[in-house]
Amino acid sequence: MKKSILYVLAGLLFLASCQDMYLPPKNTLTDEDLMSSEAGLSIYMARMYSQMPWEDFKYMAQWGLPRRSSWLGCLGVEGTGEAVNRDGVTTAFRGEDDPWWGSSYSLIRDANKLIEGLPAYKDNYSSEAVYNDYIGQAYFVRAYSYYQMARRYGGVPLVTEVIQYPAESDKLERYRASEEDTWNQILADFDKAAELMQPKSTLRGCANKYVALAFKAEAMLYAGSVAKYNSTVSGNLTGIGSKSGNRVIGFGDNAQELSAEWFAEAYKAAREVMTEGGYSLYKKSWAAGDKTAQYRNMVDMWSDLASPENILVREYEYPTLAHGLDAYSSPFLWHSPLAGGTCPTLDFVELFDGLEYHPDGTLKLTTGTSNDKGEYLLFDSPMDLFVNAEPRLRAYVIFPMDEFRKEVIEVRAGIFTGGSEDHVPLLFGGNYSYGAAQSKYADLQYYKGGDKKLFLGSQPTSGIETVEVDGKEMSATGSCGVWQEYYESTITGLHLRKYLSEDMTIEDIGEGKSDQPFILMRYADVLLAAAEAAVELSLAGESSPVQGEDMLVVATEAINAIRERAGADLLTVPLAADEASRNIVRRERRKELAFEHKTKWDLRRWRVQHEGAKELFWGVEKDENIFSSGSKYRFRALYPFYSTVNDKYFFDAHFVNVRPQEFEFNTIDYYFSIPSGEVSKSAYIDQQPNR
Amino acid sequence: MKTIKYISILLCLMLAASCSLFQLDNYDAPSETLRGEVVDVATGEPVLTDQGSEGIRVRLIETSWEGNVTPLDFYCRPDGTFQNTKLFEADYNVRVDGPFLPIYLEDKDGIPVVNQTQDIHLEGEKFITFEVSPFLKVELDEMAMVSDGVITARVKVTRGVSKEDFKTLVSRSGNYDDSYLNLTDIQLFVSQSSSCGYRARDERWSNEIKYTGKEFDTSFGKTITITSNPKNPIPSGRKVFIRAAARINYDTPAGSGTKRWNYSETVEIDIP
Repeated sequence: MKKSILYVLAGLLFLASCQDMYLPPKNTLTDEDLMSSEAGLSIYMARMYSQMPWEDFKYMAQWGLPRRSSWLGCLGVEGTGEAVNRDGVTTAFRGEDDPWWGSSYSLIRDANKLIEGLPAYKDNYSSEAVYNDYIGQAYFVRAYSYYQMARRYGGVPLVTEVIQYPAESDKLERYRASEEDTWNQILADFDKAAELMQPKSTLRGCANKYVALAFKAEAMLYAGSVAKYNSTVSGNLTGIGSKSGNRVIGFGDNAQELSAEWFAEAYKAAREVMTEGGYSLYKKSWAAGDKTAQYRNMVDMWSDLASPENILVREYEYPTLAHGLDAYSSPFLWHSPLAGGTCPTLDFVELFDGLEYHPDGTLKLTTGTSNDKGEYLLFDSPMDLFVNAEPRLRAYVIFPMDEFRKEVIEVRAGIFTGGSEDHVPLLFGGNYSYGAAQSKYADLQYYKGGDKKLFLGSQPTSGIETVEVDGKEMSATGSCGVWQEYYESTITGLHLRKYLSEDMTIEDIGEGKSDQPFILMRYADVLLAAAEAAVELSLAGESSPVQGEDMLVVATEAINAIRERAGADLLTVPLAADEASRNIVRRERRKELAFEHKTKWDLRRWRVQHEGAKELFWGVEKDENIFSSGSKYRFRALYPFYSTVNDKYFFDAHFVNVRPQEFEFNTIDYYFSIPSGEVSKSAYIDQQPNR
Repeated sequence: MKTIKYISILLCLMLAASCSLFQLDNYDAPSETLRGEVVDVATGEPVLTDQGSEGIRVRLIETSWEGNVTPLDFYCRPDGTFQNTKLFEADYNVRVDGPFLPIYLEDKDGIPVVNQTQDIHLEGEKFITFEVSPFLKVELDEMAMVSDGVITARVKVTRGVSKEDFKTLVSRSGNYDDSYLNLTDIQLFVSQSSSCGYRARDERWSNEIKYTGKEFDTSFGKTITITSNPKNPIPSGRKVFIRAAARINYDTPAGSGTKRWNYSETVEIDIP
């Protein structure tokens, strides 16, 4: 009897322990913890936004989005012509070491989970608007993540729901959708996000209605462009995946209709931001006709968080979240631990107004009709070359001998003692051809011959030759370069100014010590998107997507607004429905948005980077033989030299020869290859059909 | 101290024992050999090229593997032959892409309309021949003139495929344009190595002539002169190798954007 009681008791013990086992573990956050209150959801948002594929100071194109490192911090070095860097990161944008693929799907899953999970807690939110805003955020995150994939790969597998694992293992694998369907999904998600979100961000650094619309305009400009310009590449750049049977890259017969449709979407979105968003161009210290004020204005705007131009900003804060732009891209005076990471090119300078040009569009530095003819033009100071330069250029680039952080940025590549009072012959004679791009100053007879006339410096601390000038020894090179065998300083004669902190001292500078914000989307970008979409639609013979509006007037005003702020020459003739007008808009975009991770995408979507198409590489038409040979291309530097016979400066326009860099881009690079691991392990994922 | 030593040796041994160090791989090393050549169907002469991704590409697809196959690509040697001595025994589909009428072409919907690829079973050693129709025939006169370090060479380019044959075949892909037939450029590659070509050229001395549109159409079959880069004379006493190449405005495989050159033989020149 006693025994049976014991058995019963023991049996009861089992029952008692069962119930509580269903309790969720205390150390795990559940959907309910995160989604049932705004406080919880702010954590969810923080997590999503921390994984957003932003291209900012912590993105290096060569390394890819998932790496998020500020090492070597530099901007615009991806073979776009904005700048070059000494290292291997200076390479054409043909692929990324860490591809945006796996991480993209984790982020998309987070977004899908919010879209599916949040409705259960709808009543917990203070208002429908707040609740909708959060759902809108999820759509925005998903749209942006797919957008970052689509412009890399074309069509990708579309997952718009949470796939339960392992319960729905059979649904895990899916084919790449067609490129058309992928862009339409992105369009739908941006639209949904803009519809649901509030006009002002509920959380700092998160999206709002106008952020969604501005990025929608950018994305649709990409989609419209590839749909249109794929037909200019190899007959038509398109292909069908062998596993999926879908048109995973490019478009079919409806390409031109799709293009017009997407340009119209871009135009409408940009216009909505312009008319309702309440943003404006930053002109706080701008003054009409005052070049210095205009230049200062465009220096100040990058760090002013209260700028009315900012639409979405990635903020940094030392010491918790910092980057290292100043540690790598400052001039050599602030070498800590490196310097001169972003060296703007001469070709970039040649896009700007207020300088004199040869008939072939190159900067006029000689008396001849091009820079390999005639003799050098002589200047009292290197700054004289830039005396009338567009203020925007000075705000983006530090000229040789200009001031920065209250110091003179002394840049000199050497001293020349030859020539006569009025005549200084070209150092390389007439040979500045592409084939001779790598010839060095140290190989010239002027330097190594018996009758030495050229003096150079090899390193900042050694091997610097000096010349006696007015009884004083003058070093051949400046305090910021250019050194022939030392690359942790400028290698083009020019330095980046844009985005660098104006007031840091060498003690403040270091890896992970900079905290200026990165502007991911600004109003000028929206103006340029509207203008480009307007001209493209006009070219296609489409009428304005916004009733009763003259698109070309809007476009002309947008371009002029940007030019006026920049201190550039205003358009004298309104934009028209022709390619010349389109090129004007493209050039403006290349100038205004330089060093913002935008140009590399523009070159891709315009399809102007492959052999035979580089005439339009610079936005404006420029003979591609000046800077390229076949599928390869190089950029030029602006090396200042001091001439002793007449106490003047002259500039040698040569391909970057201190540290020669050659770029290559082929048609197949317009679509990145799908990560080979994904292709080889899956019976669903297609490699690009043209690879 | 000794104990520590013994213990560490023991630990190291344990490490060694725990991995499958002494097991053989479950696959034998690949040892089958595929050799082949690409020849002109009309003359039987090899189609000359340059070794590298701008040359003739050989693509193997292992058909005996179920499901998901990653193609294996390699490139022809300058003389138009190819070989790979490290292949597994298997069934393969072999395809070559180069400056000749495509032997594999798909239409707009990805359906093959031309397919002269070869399906082979590889075991031991196998030799296969692809007979193709090169776009161009490039002849370089062995007698080149040199004055002041600048080489002047004579080149003759003729069409290997008639315009009609090209159009008939390429039209089947649904993507044909008359501009594809235009000759775009003639190259003179100069190199200090006998393996002279696009990859192994000396950029200082090599030169090219570009043609726009149908500009070259009247010059087919005529002798053209091309010099090495006149701005960079070749120092006297050097021995260099030159090779001429030309191409049309058509990429192979279609959609890749790679327009491949037809090459001449290599000529050796002493610079006086």
